[in-house]
Amino acid sequence: MKHLWNDIRYALRQLRRSPGFTAVVVVSLALGIGANAAIFSLFDQLLLRPLPVHEPELLVNLSAPGPKPGSTSCNQAGSCEDVFSYAMFRDLEAEQDALAGLAAHVIFGANLATGDETVTGDGMLVSGQYFPLLGVQPVLGRLLGPDDDVTVGGHPVTVLSYDFWLTRMGADPGVLDTVVTINGHTFTIVGVAPPGFFGTTLGARPDVYVPLTMRSQVQAGFSMESFQNRRSYWAYVFGRLRPEVPLPQATQRLNSLYGSIINDVEAPLQEGMTEQTLAQFRAKELSVETGPHGQSDVHDEAGLPLLLLLGITAMVLIIACANIANLLLARGAGRAQEMAVRGSMGAGRRRLVLQLLTEAGLLALMGGALSLVVAYWTLWFIGSILPPFASAIISLQLEPSVLLFAGGLAVATGLLFGLYPALQATRPDLVTTLKDGGSRNSGSRGAARFRAVLVTAQIALSMTLLVSSGLFLQSLVNVTRVDLGMDVERVATFRLSPVRNGYESERSQILLQRVEEELAALPGVTAVSSGMVPLLSGSNWGTDVSVEGFEGGPAVNSNSRYNQVGPGYFRTLGMPLLSGREFTEADVVGAPRVAVVNETFARQFDLDPRETVGKFMATGGSGQSELDIQIVGLVQDANYSEVKQEVPPLFFLPARQSSSLGALTFYARTGSTTEPLLRAIPGLVRELDPNLPVEELKTLEQQASESVFMDRMITTLSSAFALLATLLAALGLYGVLAYTVTQRTREIGVRMALGAEGRRVRNMILKQIGWMTAVGGFLGILAAFGLGRAVESLLFGVSGGDPWIMLAGCVTVVVVAFSAGYLPARRASLVDPMISLRAE
Amino acid sequence: MSAIIELNGIEKFYEVRGGRSYVLRHITMDVNSGDFLSIMGPSGAGKSTLLHILGMFDNDWTGSYILHGQDVGKAKPRRRQELSREHIGFVFQQYHLLDDLTVQENLEVPLSYRNVPRSERQAQVADALDRFQIVGKKDLFPGQLSGGQQQLVAVARATIAHPTLILADEPTGSLHSSQGRMIMGLLKELNEEGTTVIQVTHSEENAGYGNRVIQLRDGWMVDPE
Repeated sequence: MKHLWNDIRYALRQLRRSPGFTAVVVVSLALGIGANAAIFSLFDQLLLRPLPVHEPELLVNLSAPGPKPGSTSCNQAGSCEDVFSYAMFRDLEAEQDALAGLAAHVIFGANLATGDETVTGDGMLVSGQYFPLLGVQPVLGRLLGPDDDVTVGGHPVTVLSYDFWLTRMGADPGVLDTVVTINGHTFTIVGVAPPGFFGTTLGARPDVYVPLTMRSQVQAGFSMESFQNRRSYWAYVFGRLRPEVPLPQATQRLNSLYGSIINDVEAPLQEGMTEQTLAQFRAKELSVETGPHGQSDVHDEAGLPLLLLLGITAMVLIIACANIANLLLARGAGRAQEMAVRGSMGAGRRRLVLQLLTEAGLLALMGGALSLVVAYWTLWFIGSILPPFASAIISLQLEPSVLLFAGGLAVATGLLFGLYPALQATRPDLVTTLKDGGSRNSGSRGAARFRAVLVTAQIALSMTLLVSSGLFLQSLVNVTRVDLGMDVERVATFRLSPVRNGYESERSQILLQRVEEELAALPGVTAVSSGMVPLLSGSNWGTDVSVEGFEGGPAVNSNSRYNQVGPGYFRTLGMPLLSGREFTEADVVGAPRVAVVNETFARQFDLDPRETVGKFMATGGSGQSELDIQIVGLVQDANYSEVKQEVPPLFFLPARQSSSLGALTFYARTGSTTEPLLRAIPGLVRELDPNLPVEELKTLEQQASESVFMDRMITTLSSAFALLATLLAALGLYGVLAYTVTQRTREIGVRMALGAEGRRVRNMILKQIGWMTAVGGFLGILAAFGLGRAVESLLFGVSGGDPWIMLAGCVTVVVVAFSAGYLPARRASLVDPMISLRAE
Repeated sequence: MSAIIELNGIEKFYEVRGGRSYVLRHITMDVNSGDFLSIMGPSGAGKSTLLHILGMFDNDWTGSYILHGQDVGKAKPRRRQELSREHIGFVFQQYHLLDDLTVQENLEVPLSYRNVPRSERQAQVADALDRFQIVGKKDLFPGQLSGGQQQLVAVARATIAHPTLILADEPTGSLHSSQGRMIMGLLKELNEEGTTVIQVTHSEENAGYGNRVIQLRDGWMVDPE
């Protein structure tokens, strides 16, 4: 310690004396650490950070894989395998003793009216044990508890989220016992959740928490009877381990209970099941997994992309470290005599290494500090390319965990790039070094080999990154070239949910029809229509169907996606009708029931395209005695819920024949730009109902673009990082070769004195590049191939081992390597033997 | 005997502020085939510069330099290189062996630059190893040899391509006396076999191995024969 201050002072002086070297090292490090810190920030927020609750490590998530006959509703809290029926949840909750408790929850869309203002947001239905099990404390009033979870429909109370209370209620402490209208029903505010608590589903930010028993009040179409429907799966369930009951034992005890309910209560209720399916149903088992991060499909969806990006940024950092290690080696070589002199004056090797490590540590600290700026910019950039719903769930601030990560990384990299050069520069070869004036030490075979290995590794990593970015680039190009089967240009879209404002179905129909009429009257609008399921938004609505001439059965897939749409829907969206007609104003309640189907539907249900129009079908699957819907049109395939999704079998029903229409997404096509239209729509809706929030107002192009935001983000970031990595590697290669030429000046001079031509000397250097490029490129191709295979699920229309992209990566690396090496090679060919030998 | 080198009015200078700084002044002399010429003089007299001009490492001079009837001054760089490869072998004071190559590989280098086929190269290297009695050292690296042994290899390397002219810049400057005598004896032997030798030396004793001496002072030949 007593030498530390001296070492720091000396190191600072050394760094000040070489501002160019210091700047290159600090900037390289800042770029490497900054990129890592930014991606780590996302990684931490989305995948690592536990819920801000009491002992999150004891939380467990339950899921119920296996056959689920009936209806299933799942959302961003997890897959459809994870959901339970309300009745099953209540049975488990009442009878289990393996866990400290069980809780259920489900997200719902909410129109929230406070005073004169109605906003759209999210709510979360929670069971009575939800807050007690999490162990969070209210910031005001109380949270929901078991007493709010007794009677179905009997607890019109709510807890506000802290953010909602802050932004919408002005953090008014007097909100308790006042009311808020949630989807048209009045709820009394009993408390405010603590700051930083956003529920248990990452990706959702509930504004209000409502008792689970109030689902019928806040979700249209969910009747009181539905609570008892054991074939309706929609509740996400988690629990808390008892400290004395480990997870495997708890799972076993829960499964014992679950198995008896399945076999004794639910199996006898199943009808129309094949024996095989019934056997599977009876054998169902609960899956219980640790759940410190809550329940969210974000963990699954973002896991691989973030891991990939973290891997990419780690490679960038390794390349930067390799460059710095090379620079330090060269610098250390230049200071070998200084080290030898210090050694001759009694400095031990440990002492010398520590001195050089202090210098490396200072560089790392400076790089680490500057990396925070890079990390902030990178996060800001990521935020700017994310759609609003995605950027809303991540913080763009540099949080303490990120600062810690960047600091740790700086220290680790300081050691990584500083140690070997320090050991090299202080090799105990005093006599030789003093005699040589230090020149021999610099050119030691070990150091030269180390430098060559570093550059070869850099080339390999660059190749890997270039190929992976090429794959994602091609994938994105493929995504943007997908024929969506519709014309998304110059279409404005938005959603209205009058049902959330308490509108009855009939009033909803009238309002929604008025909106269409008013939209059509706006200047420039050439076509208007609407649909229940928003296009390309990830929403999927499906049901089993029966189709004339199609043999269904329990083991046959008779499921189809569907949508309810307004008149002129296909014309407005540019979806070509292949035969028949589309819906008209005459297709209303009371008129004959009609449907339009897509090509895939026709194929799936064995319909001859020429004879599809006129056939009959019904919703509800096999066993429907009456096929009461006539197919009146066949429409060309068009994408439904996602750009990257294969077009599913799809049928359309007239929205105006629906008796329970509570929300619609509108589409208005304009002959010119969409901006004036987007500006006019909120005013238009306000005139019809000032309390009805306009949701998801955007262009259809934006919607399509948001559908592939993950592709765009991965491509943009991986390309940027690959470019950075390649530049750093090129810089490294240039540095090493330039250094090599300097080191070999005498040798080159001798060779030229012995008759070597400039061309031959240049080729000698180029051959060195060739070897490093060949070995690095080969290793890089292998790594890229492995990486490509590992991330194939993220690619669209391109294989992870695409030979053309591999070839393009090779060509790029070769061009970059030889460009970086040309100048040093040329300089080598111009060595003047007289000068180089005299300098000796 | 015929002159293999004809120098006429060779001058070498650097442009400096206020005029020219001369390193060599009006050097005129012939070197005959079979000569063993020693260039002597104090430090800074221009001895090494003259040797570098003769070796065609330095092409920035005025005057006339004829080597084997070829006008070096008028030859294009490529031709100069060919002339050098064809006729000249160079021995340096600091040996200048290539550290990363073995003795055998060091000997092979000049041949590879003369596009001698591999099989022939190996034969010539074997001959040289044999002739200079360094077969046992062929797989050693320069760092593993003594100074005398390194210079021995350097002389072997200089002669391996059978040059007609050996230029030696203080060939014993880094050696102790017995090693120096061994190297000088070797050069004498080569000279007696017909190779012309020009050496730069400070040593009267070494000059005694030759048959001619020229003295340089401040760039001038002060004691022409």
